[in-house]
Amino acid sequence: MIDRLVGLMILVISVTVFLVARGYEAGFGDPLGPAVFPQMVAALAAILSLGMIFRPDPNPDFRMDRARLKQLATLAVLIGYVLLLEPLGFPVSTTLATALLAALFGARAMRALATGLGTGVGLYLLFNNVLGLPLPLAPAFIG
Amino acid sequence: MDILNALMDGFSVALTPTNLGLAVFGCFIGTLIGALPGLGPVNGVAILIPVAFAMKLSPGSALILLSCIYYGCMYGGRISSIMLNIPGDEPAIMTTLDGYPMAKKGKAAQALGISAVASFVGATVATLGLTFFAPYLAKAAIYFGPADYFALYVMAFATIGGVAGVNPIKTLLAAVIGLMLASVGLDPATGTARFTFGSYNLYDGFDPIVSIVGLFAISEILMYFERIAGEGGEAVPLDRGLPKLREVFAGFPASLRGSVIGFICGVLPGAGASLGAFVSYNVEKQVSDKDGTFGTGDPRGIAAPEAGNNAASGGALIPMLTLGVPGSGTTAVMLALLISLNIQPGPLLFERQPEIVWGLIASLYIANVVLLVMNVPLVGIFTRLLSLPQWLLMPVVIMVSFIGIYSISHAPFDLFVMIAFGVLGYALRKLDISLVPVVLGLLLGADMENNLRRALSISGGDFGILVHSSIALAIYALTAVMLFLTVIMARRQTGKAAS
Repeated sequence: MIDRLVGLMILVISVTVFLVARGYEAGFGDPLGPAVFPQMVAALAAILSLGMIFRPDPNPDFRMDRARLKQLATLAVLIGYVLLLEPLGFPVSTTLATALLAALFGARAMRALATGLGTGVGLYLLFNNVLGLPLPLAPAFIG
Repeated sequence: MDILNALMDGFSVALTPTNLGLAVFGCFIGTLIGALPGLGPVNGVAILIPVAFAMKLSPGSALILLSCIYYGCMYGGRISSIMLNIPGDEPAIMTTLDGYPMAKKGKAAQALGISAVASFVGATVATLGLTFFAPYLAKAAIYFGPADYFALYVMAFATIGGVAGVNPIKTLLAAVIGLMLASVGLDPATGTARFTFGSYNLYDGFDPIVSIVGLFAISEILMYFERIAGEGGEAVPLDRGLPKLREVFAGFPASLRGSVIGFICGVLPGAGASLGAFVSYNVEKQVSDKDGTFGTGDPRGIAAPEAGNNAASGGALIPMLTLGVPGSGTTAVMLALLISLNIQPGPLLFERQPEIVWGLIASLYIANVVLLVMNVPLVGIFTRLLSLPQWLLMPVVIMVSFIGIYSISHAPFDLFVMIAFGVLGYALRKLDISLVPVVLGLLLGADMENNLRRALSISGGDFGILVHSSIALAIYALTAVMLFLTVIMARRQTGKAAS
């Protein structure tokens, strides 16, 4: 069932791509232009998506359980980390993110915090001082 | 003699203190990554590419470092197969069949010794093959025109399904998804912005390295939470430090057979190390399993697939370096590295930048010796690392990949792209769609389109040029033969499974 849905999605996307690509114009001495190759690929994708729609595989194992919640939490931590990386500076944001991830992977609170601190400070020193790649240090509001 | 001279020049590049140090470091890190369950060579190399950038290495040195990591991963993959019954990477699956039973019988040291020597034999045979065949292929490839390259890309995409795919439609679809993603960004020939949704961030398209780290490393972390419940692998204790010399060579003839088979599998585009290990094991089983000892800890059952997967990973470097068409997932990642370093792989690489090619090849010989030393007497270090807790390893690995990507461009946008590719990779894996063709499509899409457009501007728009040259025709014929063989092999396998 999921295969059919995904196949349908790919079909819609490839038809859209095909139509959008019609607007790209060819240049001089380039008989094919920027439109034809994407259209060839989109047509192929559309044909292949029919294969998924009409001959779907059985559904993969997918339930809302603890593993799923942990995956969502991990994604939330990662997205939050990227948002906070520049505002909070590297050491603070990395310590927080690593500690939360370690906890998600089953570390106890103190160990998670220690892993976070070690990673935040250690990687900052490694990249900023040893490898010479400047990383944002202090929170932006301090300066 | 040309080749030997070039190789000597290569050794003079590889033996500079920096490069030698990088080779040893790469071997160590590679074995480590290979040994850790779940983190395969693709992940290892992908995560460390940004680190190589960060170290501001010269292109040649960066390539040496990552190739040594690649070879190291192939050696290391066997360690967790044998000790935990969990393959460190896909090609190491076949090693669990006889490796783990042997370790359970209290002969873990012997199993590790046999597989280390087999890895050495396989990788050395492949490196020799690389030394002597690659220059000839490069010479032949100079005559390839745009239409021939287009045919070559068609072959790479059509044949990769034979190995990677459970469902061939999905494997092809994966390649097409990659090709679609590759067309995002400014068209280099006309400057038309394609599929950018008006965002300047997408004008350069998707950086292959950002996409690869997302597809493999981030999706691996998401998959980890699902696998964690099923596995309760207990490490087998190591019986003693060093195996006896006689025991270690028990599988030597099997290693030689496995090496040759693996090497051939590796050279074929789209095949790679998993196929090498698989075919080597099965052939060895047919040749020497007279008493039904395979699967219970037969030394030959360890030697053959280990030699096979290492030989295949060396062989896979040949099409990548000479034609720019990678033969496996990891070599696809290495191709991404070359492109980012502004090195155009292909026949001209051998003429214009011989120091890079031959320095690389020479350092692979050195890596093999270093890896043999690391993996026989020092294997205890790596087996001990298997007991490092995942809550420590995984977060650190994630953070290293984030900083690595951030350090390339200092653009949070790239990190969001990486997370998005991670979710895409996870979804594709859940749907049984292989990731390797996606990466190939993403990497080769631009070149495939350029060659097609160049061919058609030569012919003035006549599509007939695609089948005019005899080289292109030969490639299409070879593609047809390989597809035919794949179908026959698939039939035989399902037939066997049914009976």
